[in-house]
Amino acid sequence: MDIFRLLAAAAFIFCLSSLVYQMTKLLIAGNKRDFSKPSGSEKDGIVYSFTGAMSPFEKESAYLHLPTYIAGLLFHFGVFLSFPVLLLMIIFPKILFISQYLTASISLFLLISSFSGLFILVKRIVKRDIRAISGADDYISNGLTTFSLLMSSIALLTETLVPLYFVVYSVLLVWVPIGKTRHLIYFFFARYHLGRFYGRRNSWPQKKVSNG
Amino acid sequence: MDSILKFKDIDSKLLTHLNACVKCGLCADSCMFYKKFSDPDYIPASKVALVSSIYRRYNTLSGRLIPSLVGAEKMSQEMAERMVDLLFGACTMCGRCVKHCSIGVDIAFVVRKGREMLAEMGLVPSTLQSTVDAAVNTGNNMGIPEDEFVGTISWMEEELRDELNDQNASIPLNQKGKRVFYTLNPREPKFFPLSISAMAKIFYAAGESWTLSSKYYDVTNYGFFNGNKREAALIAKNLHDEVIGLNSALLVLGECGHGSRANRWEAPNYLCKEYEFDMTTAVELTSSYIREGKIKLDPTLNKEAVTIHDPCNLVRNGGLLQEIRFVVNSSAQNVTEMTPCGNDNYCCGGGGGLLAMSEYNDRRVGAGEIKADQIRKSGAKVVVTPCHNCVDQLTQLNHTYKLGVKIKTIAELVADAIIIEKT
Ligand code: SF4
Ligand code: SF4
Repeated sequence: MDIFRLLAAAAFIFCLSSLVYQMTKLLIAGNKRDFSKPSGSEKDGIVYSFTGAMSPFEKESAYLHLPTYIAGLLFHFGVFLSFPVLLLMIIFPKILFISQYLTASISLFLLISSFSGLFILVKRIVKRDIRAISGADDYISNGLTTFSLLMSSIALLTETLVPLYFVVYSVLLVWVPIGKTRHLIYFFFARYHLGRFYGRRNSWPQKKVSNG
Repeated sequence: MDSILKFKDIDSKLLTHLNACVKCGLCADSCMFYKKFSDPDYIPASKVALVSSIYRRYNTLSGRLIPSLVGAEKMSQEMAERMVDLLFGACTMCGRCVKHCSIGVDIAFVVRKGREMLAEMGLVPSTLQSTVDAAVNTGNNMGIPEDEFVGTISWMEEELRDELNDQNASIPLNQKGKRVFYTLNPREPKFFPLSISAMAKIFYAAGESWTLSSKYYDVTNYGFFNGNKREAALIAKNLHDEVIGLNSALLVLGECGHGSRANRWEAPNYLCKEYEFDMTTAVELTSSYIREGKIKLDPTLNKEAVTIHDPCNLVRNGGLLQEIRFVVNSSAQNVTEMTPCGNDNYCCGGGGGLLAMSEYNDRRVGAGEIKADQIRKSGAKVVVTPCHNCVDQLTQLNHTYKLGVKIKTIAELVADAIIIEKT
């Protein structure tokens, strides 16, 4: 295994263990006992939180901002695809190249994904209000992930860039548990807690506004 | 000070919501403050960032080593002032942004935690604190003397007897062993006593066994807003103990959004116990009377177009969307909805204790313009809402934005539609 591959593998282990540590912290912190009498079901609320409540028709953050929402989806799908790609590149790169079409398709999707990330980054820079709420973490997280996706896309087609690809991903993997990129785990906990909260109060699953 | 910044006793929920925001900014349009004033400070994420940056600075390694890279900030005079202004003065904790957040960050919950920090630092706005002090010292947040309250109740009782033409109709005070212990927002005896007789009329029609307390009738709990849990617990305990003292089986929370929420959902946690008696809201109780045929309503007696203002604490944060609609639709002939409504409703602007903080009056009434526009567009002549705080804010909006509507509580709407069958 060459040094770059080793570097990426070490970064991957660092990232994974840091995320597991943060997750363990969340689990150990636990839930405070709620003494109020429920009027709905927490379980139903949690299920709804991960399903119906995620529908783009339910959230203004989606239906009022459709281009950003779609870009966000593509960006995140790309990120999720890029990690198994990275693992294969570290452990068993040949498998990615058994089919030219497969490699090209993955590369194309990652490219589209990186452009989606770029769109979000540009929006952050250009729009006054988003710029106003942004800090270094937001630019680093967004920029680094976008660049990593781009590198991933290129490295699949250009072998000479693979060492650089490993270096870029190593930096990203170190950053993931430190920056806001850690929402990779907090997202799921946030949905869970929100589902419990609204479910217990019978506010979720969302009821219809009807005439009685 | 150190213990405040260290977030002692942090649980999974708080830890999650302090770490989950990605600053996408997509919540901006969900908040009426931002919608009205277009100030980036009013974006919900900005309010979360104030609290989470403090958390990061004092509780994480990255926050200590590379604070500027991870958005960690020290607590300073300037920071504290910003927090007071935005967490107390620019957020009603309505939770509208929460539902629409791309991640699911409970922004209102984080704001409340921020208020708790400020309360421990002694930075609660004095106007809000004086409301809490009044409740702690006198038993009600307006400091109404007991004899004045008793006088108002006996006046309302006479009105009720005249209206019903029945000398046995009553508004019972301090009676032991009644099934229902009813509570009021002190604004009722002070400014809107007719809503007391309206509810008394409903109880009369349903043949309910009920009582008020002359000392602890206040349903509100501004300790929920000032962030001082000790004071919130004291206020909750006074009411709890009074219900036990009068040996009632059911605490009925009068028409007050935050009061209902504070008692129903928070108070058992303030006191760390499951309550010995049941609790319900006036809307739910009225709804049960209608469903069980205990009261009869004629919706044609309310002919004007009615629209519903959903109090955030009762609907989005309390699950009463359908109960409210059932009662209103049973009581009025022509009900029209605002857009958006229900769980997506906009706060009236008066929640979060803002009505008590006069220093933010202009901001509060300004933010309320979103609601005023909704009311105007609905074409309704009557706005009904089961919350006296909302009534107060809506009354001001009605005046400021010249809406020309009547503002009513649900009890008033129901009382106008009730058919009393004399036996
Ligand atoms: S929508 Fe949610 S995640 Fe995005 S900035 Fe607002 S609070 Fe943060
Ligand atoms: S809770 Fe309500 S007032 Fe507060 S930031 Fe969210 S939408 Fe705005």
